[in-house]
Amino acid sequence: MNETAHRFGRAHHLVGIAGTPATPAAPVGVIVLNAGLVQRVGPFRLHVGLTRHLNACGYPTLRFDLSGLGDSGVDGSPRTRQEQVAADVTDAMQLLTSQSRCTRFVLIGLCSGAAHAHAMARTHPQVVGVVFLDGYAYRTPGFWMRHYLRKLVRTSPIRLLKALFNRVRRAGQAHDPVFEVGFPPRAEVAADLKDMLGRGLQLLFVFSGGASGYFNHARQFRECFGALACDPGVAVHYFVAADHTYVLGKDRAALTGIVAAWLRGRFPA
Amino acid sequence: MPRYFGPRRALFGLYQAAAAPRRAVLLCPPLGQEMIRSHRIYRLLAQALAERGHAVLRFDYRGTGDSADAGEGLSWNACLADVREAAAELRSASGLDAVTAFGTRLGANIAMDAVDTAQLVGVVAWDPVLDGGQFLATMDALQAHLLVDTSRFLRPRRDVDPHAEWVGFAPGDRLRAQLGDVRWRPGSALSLLIDSAPREPRAGHAIQQPPPRTLRIERPTSWHDLDAQEDVILAHGVVEAVTAHFQEGRA
Repeated sequence: MNETAHRFGRAHHLVGIAGTPATPAAPVGVIVLNAGLVQRVGPFRLHVGLTRHLNACGYPTLRFDLSGLGDSGVDGSPRTRQEQVAADVTDAMQLLTSQSRCTRFVLIGLCSGAAHAHAMARTHPQVVGVVFLDGYAYRTPGFWMRHYLRKLVRTSPIRLLKALFNRVRRAGQAHDPVFEVGFPPRAEVAADLKDMLGRGLQLLFVFSGGASGYFNHARQFRECFGALACDPGVAVHYFVAADHTYVLGKDRAALTGIVAAWLRGRFPA
Repeated sequence: MPRYFGPRRALFGLYQAAAAPRRAVLLCPPLGQEMIRSHRIYRLLAQALAERGHAVLRFDYRGTGDSADAGEGLSWNACLADVREAAAELRSASGLDAVTAFGTRLGANIAMDAVDTAQLVGVVAWDPVLDGGQFLATMDALQAHLLVDTSRFLRPRRDVDPHAEWVGFAPGDRLRAQLGDVRWRPGSALSLLIDSAPREPRAGHAIQQPPPRTLRIERPTSWHDLDAQEDVILAHGVVEAVTAHFQEGRA
């Protein structure tokens, strides 16, 4: 293992672990963002296994805690959360550059981490690739058709009638949020993705079975974003068996394999 | 400061210094998902202790957190050796010889087992595991429920051995066998027992001689609630109780 622990950042307030390969040959460094409130090791230590595997494949990595999460403090400046995240990720890039001489980066984010990675990829010129784990997608007519067909097949008629009754009863009431992370309008996300792809970014979208509340088939990405889904810079993987946080070791290993294979294909070491 | 230390620099730790430290406190984490869930409270405790002039080291056992190795290789004896290494690191960093440990769940059992080898002068224990066999049975049952939990998986995961993992962590055959033999045996080094476990007999009842101090926290901590396995542990009163304990000058 060749990992080093760092306290870094503009206010020396961030904590992260840089991993450098024995023979660095990759053209990009990989930065893994916090998933929700979980510290930098990731849910069930997902980020540790992932970054170490990528190190073994030749990629320098950094897993770190954003301001206020895990072991990181705050810089005390009056910034919005989004500005703070942007400044933190910029600090993280500088650290990984100092450790590995990489100047281009791939961001990996799960859930809120995917939302942060999206925001960074919109504007930051050093981001050349993003792995979105249960990132943005939107319910489509196809989603609803599959959703109700499955219910029809699996549910008894009485339970189905009850569910329909409850749905009608709730129709006039306020809706629960679809996802804990706020989703921007679909047109805005589509415009962002188009711009990213126009700048040559490589994008991997992995949706788990745990995202079934808003994503339930590999083709749904195309239903959401149309021709963008066919762009050579886009790859989509629907990991239906897995849950949202990859609680099972075999699912974490499979996800690691998916990410590593994509990196090797798009950014060969 | 975050650092790697010990043989092969395999152990990750975060040291919080104090200008003229009054006491050196080693924070021994629990294992598995309980470690990830209690990270926040360990950080808050370390900050509170450092602000009151104590030198504090948090660390991860090999095969856990940011430390080296995979979790499958974890063993009880390796955890005891890691406590010894971490105590030595804390002595070296703080300049103090007397080290007191704080441990939660299996972290408390590990700290108590390491009293002699790590030369700890005291242990503060929060919800230690009373019976390792019962703990294994509970974790296996939790895992079995998790695999068929359709609010987590679209379809039950019958392709997975229910005994291979406990909520995201693979203990390995060696650790499983060792945990079966774990019993809570508080020795004279136990200086404070914090009890917030709702489902097991109170730890104080399981021993012949009650420890010097037992603090009962009535609001139970949800260690084994399947729906709370990804929630942060927020045990109100624990940080305050432990900092007060050390402020009173107890080991």
